[in-house]
Amino acid sequence: MKQMTEAQLTELEQDLNAIRNDVLADLGERDARYIRRVVRLHRTLEVGGRVLMPFGFIPPVFVAATVALGLSKIIENMEIGHNVMHGQYDWMNDPSLHSQTYEWDTACSSDSWRRTHNYEHHTYTNIIGKDRDYGYAVLRLSDDEPWRPRHSLQFINYILLSTFFQWGVGLHELETERLHRREITLRSKLPFLKEFFRKGGRQAFKDYVFFPLLTFPVAPIVLAGNIGANLIRNLWSSTVIFCGHFTQDAETFTEEECWGDGKNESKGHWYLRQLSGSSNFTGGRWVHLLSGHLSFQMEHHVFPDLPAHRYPEISDRVREVCAKHGIHYNTGSFARQYGTVLKRIAAFSLPDRLRARLPALDVA
Amino acid sequence: MLARQNHSTPLQWLGRQLFNRDDASAFFDPLLARINPMWVQEYTPARVQRIIRDTSDTQTFVLKPARRWQGFAAGQHVNICVEIDGVRHHRTFSLSSSTTLWHDEGLVTLTIKRLPGGRVTNWLHDQLKSGAVVGLSEAFGDFLIPEPVRPILFIAGGSGITPILSQLKTMAVHGFRAPVTLLYFVRDHDHAIAGEHLQNLAALHDLLTVKIVASQGGSEPRYLTQSDLNEITDLGCRDIFLCGPQGLMALAGELLDAKGVSRDKIHSTYFSAPQTDLDSEDLGGKVRFARSNLDVDSTGDAPLLEIAEAAGLTPQHGCRMGICHQCSCRKTSGTVVNRLTGQASGPGEDTIQLCISIPQGPVSLDI
Repeated sequence: MKQMTEAQLTELEQDLNAIRNDVLADLGERDARYIRRVVRLHRTLEVGGRVLMPFGFIPPVFVAATVALGLSKIIENMEIGHNVMHGQYDWMNDPSLHSQTYEWDTACSSDSWRRTHNYEHHTYTNIIGKDRDYGYAVLRLSDDEPWRPRHSLQFINYILLSTFFQWGVGLHELETERLHRREITLRSKLPFLKEFFRKGGRQAFKDYVFFPLLTFPVAPIVLAGNIGANLIRNLWSSTVIFCGHFTQDAETFTEEECWGDGKNESKGHWYLRQLSGSSNFTGGRWVHLLSGHLSFQMEHHVFPDLPAHRYPEISDRVREVCAKHGIHYNTGSFARQYGTVLKRIAAFSLPDRLRARLPALDVA
Repeated sequence: MLARQNHSTPLQWLGRQLFNRDDASAFFDPLLARINPMWVQEYTPARVQRIIRDTSDTQTFVLKPARRWQGFAAGQHVNICVEIDGVRHHRTFSLSSSTTLWHDEGLVTLTIKRLPGGRVTNWLHDQLKSGAVVGLSEAFGDFLIPEPVRPILFIAGGSGITPILSQLKTMAVHGFRAPVTLLYFVRDHDHAIAGEHLQNLAALHDLLTVKIVASQGGSEPRYLTQSDLNEITDLGCRDIFLCGPQGLMALAGELLDAKGVSRDKIHSTYFSAPQTDLDSEDLGGKVRFARSNLDVDSTGDAPLLEIAEAAGLTPQHGCRMGICHQCSCRKTSGTVVNRLTGQASGPGEDTIQLCISIPQGPVSLDI
C-alpha cells in the first residue's frame, strides 16, 4: 500500500467526503425512479421466465425462459438485493427497499449476508486473516498464505465454487476453516445452520420442487431451466465478484499495517485501503446494471451506501482524487481484469519457488 | 401501520417460500402500480377524488379508498402515506366526513390545515392533485361518540374541529337524540373550518347548539372562560370532548376541574404528541445499535430515532409522534422512557417505538 502521511490521509478523506456529500445532498426523485424501474424490470423478467418455462419443450422458448429467469436473478441479487442491503435506498423510507428487512433471492440469508459481507468484508477489505472474502477460505491468492499441496488443485475448487456460488456464499458464515482448526465448535454454529437450512431450503423448494411439480407433465424441462437459470446467475456473480478484489493490481494488507502499535486506522487510511484493494472493469450500461455496478468496485468500496447507479457519474471525480494522491485507479476491460484473476488463481496454486521460475505467472 | 395485517395461512406460507417476503402479493406491486395504482397490495391505496378549499389555509381532500379498506367510526384518524421527492412520509389526520358518506358512496374526507414550514401539509396543499393516489392506513383511535347517546359538550380549537366535524355530521344523519353543544375557538371567523356548515346543522337540529368564538376578533384575546361553561346546561351529566391546541386543552382541563367535572367524562385527542414533563437529569446514556455494530452516547431527552439518525443510521419510521408504530423495534437490554406517558420500560427485551423512546442509561437495540 502506498505510504501517506497523516496529513495526506486527512486530505484524501476530505476529498472523498466532498464527493459523498454532494451525492447525498442530491438524492431524491431520480434515484427512487431508477430503483423502481430496475425492480419493475426484475419482476417482468421473473414473471416472464416462470410463465415461459413450461413451454420450454420448444428449444428457443427454453433458452429465452432460462435466460430471462437467470437475468432476473442476476438483477435481483446484484443491483437490487446487494445494493438495498447496503442501505443505499434506506432514505426512501420504503419498507420494500429497506436494508434491514430486505430478503433476497439466493441461498444466503440476508441476515448472514449483512454480517459476513456488509460488516466483515467491507470493514476489513483485503486484510489477510480478517477479510474471509479474500479467497473464501478455499483459494490461496497471495503469498501471505504458505503453499500446501492441496492448493495445486485449487483451479478445480474455483470452478466448483463458481458453479455452486450461491451455496458457497450461503455457507460462508459456517467458517469451516476455523472449525477445522478447532477454534470454534459446530455447536456454536447451530443457530446459523438452522437459518441456512431454512433459507436454502426455501430456495431449493421454489426452483427445484414447487415450480417443476406445478407444471407436472413438463417438470423435467422446468427443473432443467431453473437449474440453468441458477447456474447462469452463479457463474456471472462469482466472476464479477472475483474481479472486484483479486485482479493483478488489487493489493492485500496486514493487520499490522492498520492497527499495529496499538494505533487505530483513520478514516483516510480506510479510504486508501478500499481504493488500493479494489478494482473496476469497463463496459456498457448493461454490464454495469448486471454487475450491480460492482464494475465500479472502487467507488462501491469507498461509498458502499450511495445508490450504485451514481457510481458512473462520480467515477471521474474519484479517478481525479486518485491521480492527485498518486493512488492507482485500477481499471481495465472485463476480459483483461478477469484474465489477471485467472492468472492469480493459477499462479498461487504453485509453490513459490516454482512460480518464480515462470515469469508468465508473475502477478504479485 | 400502513402494512396490512395478515394472519398466517397455508397460502401465506407458500408466498413466503416463493417470494421471500411476508406480503407475497406485494411482490407484484411494482407491476400492478403501473397498470392501476389502485391495485397495489402493500398498503391500501386511496384516490383523491376532489379537493375543496375551506379557508385560506385549509383544504378538504375527498378520498376514495380501495374497497378493502375497513371503514371507520366518527372521531377516528388515519395515517396517510405520500412520496415526496423519492421519500415516503406518513402523517396522521382525523377523518372529517360522516360514516354515511363511506357507507353510501365509498368516500372519506380529510380536512387538512397547512402548517407553517410543514413538509407534508404544504406538499398536500400545493402538489397533491385530484386523480393522484395516496396510501391509507386503517382507521384507529378511541375518540368516539358514547353509546348509548348522552348529552355532549364539544370544545374544539382551530383544526381540532376535524374529528368533531365527522362526529357531528354522523350524528346529524342519525338525528340528535340528546343535547349537543359545540364551543369552537378560531383565530377569526375567516379561519373557522366548515363554519357555515356547522351553523346550518345547528339551524336544522334543535338539540344542537353551535358557538363559534373568534379569539383574536376583539381588542383583547378571547379564550375559553368559566362563563362559557356556566352557560352549558347540565354540564355535570355531559360527556366532554376536547380537541385542539395544547393551550386550549390545558385551559379546558383546568376549568372543568374547577367545576368538579369528573375526569372519566372527558375525552381528548391530540394533533401533536403530548409531552409529559420529563426530568432530563437522569435521561440519556450509551446506546448500542447491535446489528450495525455501532455505539453512541446520548444526552438529555433525545428520542432513539433521532439518536439513530444522528449516528448515520436510517431506521424505518413513520409519524415520528408515537402513533403509527412503523419504527417499532426490539430493545434487547436497558431502560427507555416513553415520552408520551413518562413511563419507564422494564430493563429486559421489549418492543419499543424509536420515535418516542428516550434512553435512561445504557440501551441496546437490534438495529
